Amino acid sequence: MTKHWGMVIDQNRCVGCWTCAVSCKSINNEPLGIFWNRVLTGEPSASASVSGAPPASQAIDVPHGVFPNLALAYQPTACQHCADAPCEKVCPVSATFRREDGVVLVDFERCIGCRYCLAACPYGARAFNWEKEQYAPDFPVGYGRDYRTGGRLVFTPVRPVGVAEKCTFCVERIDVGKKPMCVETCPAGARIFGDLNDPASEVSQAVNRQGGRQLLADLGTRPSVYYLAVDRQGRLTD
Amino acid sequence: MVKDPSTRTRYLTWLVVLSILLLAALGAWVYELIFGLGATGMRDVISWGLYILSFAFFVKLSAGGLIVASSAEVFGIKGLKPLAKLGVLTAAVCVLVAGVSILPDLGRPDRLLNLFIYAHWSSPMIWDITIITLYFLLAVAELWLMSAKMPEAKRARGLKWAAGIGLPAAFALHSITAWIFGLQISRPFWNTALMAPLFVVSAILSGTALVSLILWILQRVDALVVRGETWRKLSGLMAVSLAIDLFFVLSDYLTVLWDGVPKDLQVLSTLLPGGGYQLFFWLEWVIGGAIPLLFLILPSLRRRVGLIAASAVLILVGVYAYQVELVVAGMANPLIQLPPGISLGTYVPGESVFQLVGHYTPTWVELTILLGLLALIALLVTLGYRYLSIKASLTEATPEAGDRLDTDGARRRIVRGEAT
Repeated sequence: MTKHWGMVIDQNRCVGCWTCAVSCKSINNEPLGIFWNRVLTGEPSASASVSGAPPASQAIDVPHGVFPNLALAYQPTACQHCADAPCEKVCPVSATFRREDGVVLVDFERCIGCRYCLAACPYGARAFNWEKEQYAPDFPVGYGRDYRTGGRLVFTPVRPVGVAEKCTFCVERIDVGKKPMCVETCPAGARIFGDLNDPASEVSQAVNRQGGRQLLADLGTRPSVYYLAVDRQGRLTD
Repeated sequence: MVKDPSTRTRYLTWLVVLSILLLAALGAWVYELIFGLGATGMRDVISWGLYILSFAFFVKLSAGGLIVASSAEVFGIKGLKPLAKLGVLTAAVCVLVAGVSILPDLGRPDRLLNLFIYAHWSSPMIWDITIITLYFLLAVAELWLMSAKMPEAKRARGLKWAAGIGLPAAFALHSITAWIFGLQISRPFWNTALMAPLFVVSAILSGTALVSLILWILQRVDALVVRGETWRKLSGLMAVSLAIDLFFVLSDYLTVLWDGVPKDLQVLSTLLPGGGYQLFFWLEWVIGGAIPLLFLILPSLRRRVGLIAASAVLILVGVYAYQVELVVAGMANPLIQLPPGISLGTYVPGESVFQLVGHYTPTWVELTILLGLLALIALLVTLGYRYLSIKASLTEATPEAGDRLDTDGARRRIVRGEAT
């Protein structure tokens, strides 16, 4: 059976430190103004509908609720690598494609820059290269080489102007057996990565036993990223 | 045709002005190509703007022509028959310019051919490119049928066929353009099954308005003689399609307001009075809605050709306002709206790179290109009018006995008894 790469994020462990976002930015040399991975100040309740609900909090790191009943939870959000990905469906040239192992990627040599994918993604997970990018520091950092899969350029340190980009699940790392950088660096161990098709894998176990939920699950996009809510029954450490 | 010296000067000035606007737009596009799409006001939250909303608007404008021409043929509406050729010309021009307006929106226009090499058929954009191409070819073929030397019987047969294909093609064009938006689950304001019918009816509305406006201008500047019957048919078509258009939008609003689903309500509340986009609400419902509707249906007003033309302008403003609402307001509120929001894709020192709710203001580059696209429509219609002997086609049908002509077009009323 082929693999289906997936990720589980334990919101009870997440402390909102943004290490995942910053290490993602470094390894993938994301320019100023682009975050493939963001840590949203989110919704603590597992039962709350995420879709279009009024923001749990108006500002970053501000708890939601009224004192003394305050709750604070973080929702790190990047590409959800949907099994039925709207971005893949709308791409007029198949520049966005889904690999057999579930990773959704962008071919930087084929993208025409129409931004239909940005319009179609319900998670706001995509970024566009609007202009020649600025970097700090002003030289490429991170992986630093082109990476191709099936002959298609899915990572290049400096992306061409006028194409869309997004989280790749660190395809160049997972293809050689490493974990995505955000999973590697999370100081709270809040992220697990693995094969959702293998019922014995850590991700499958976490999803099945701890009630993993997908973002905007009602849209039917079938994301490969699952969240374990703060107030759930039974926790990862139990 | 252009003999009188003052008319000739006016005609040449018009062409020069349009050419300057077109050149300015080309210059703006070159600037954008060098600088990147960062030269526009679009960013990662509101990632489509003036180009796409104008594209959809131009597609709508192209309807009128072909629908007017085809209905004249298919349903035998006599009053519209003289308009057939002008209608097909505007259809061809508008759909062509709609296609052109996609170019400045592309991040990589150099890879345009990928659309044909790697066409991905699940994408509504590919359906749209296909139908736009077919529609344009159909309009050109119809223009050729109307202009080429051939036996009249053969021409009539050809035109019947073209009209028969033209109506369903126009429906397909507008439905598919609507589905680019309507099929997206990511944008609650787009995701309604009403989108296609709404686009079809607002296309008939704005297309007819454009033909009426052009006709009125020609009547003023080229001493064109337009029959009262023709104006009556045009204003009737506008009144009916405007009423249906507003009914569809109202029906959509009611569904959202009564249900109160937060994600839908969140967008609609920005459009209604008091919301951030209320300007466009007033433009759509009052300036481009109630006022022209009254002009077109009130017995005391509806025979005034000047008011029909004014209605046409207001209707075009209203339909354009709807396009702004659709694209800009439709994208401003992402489904997941948790702080700090979505990164913008560019960095300006001292400003946050995140937006919780999208903001968009078009830049001079976008506005210049939009003006250029409008100038291109005007230029092509002008040249087509001149070189395809449209004037002859508009006047050749001799008025029937008792059908009073409205020659000066300005504020003259047609006697009511004759007009109905």
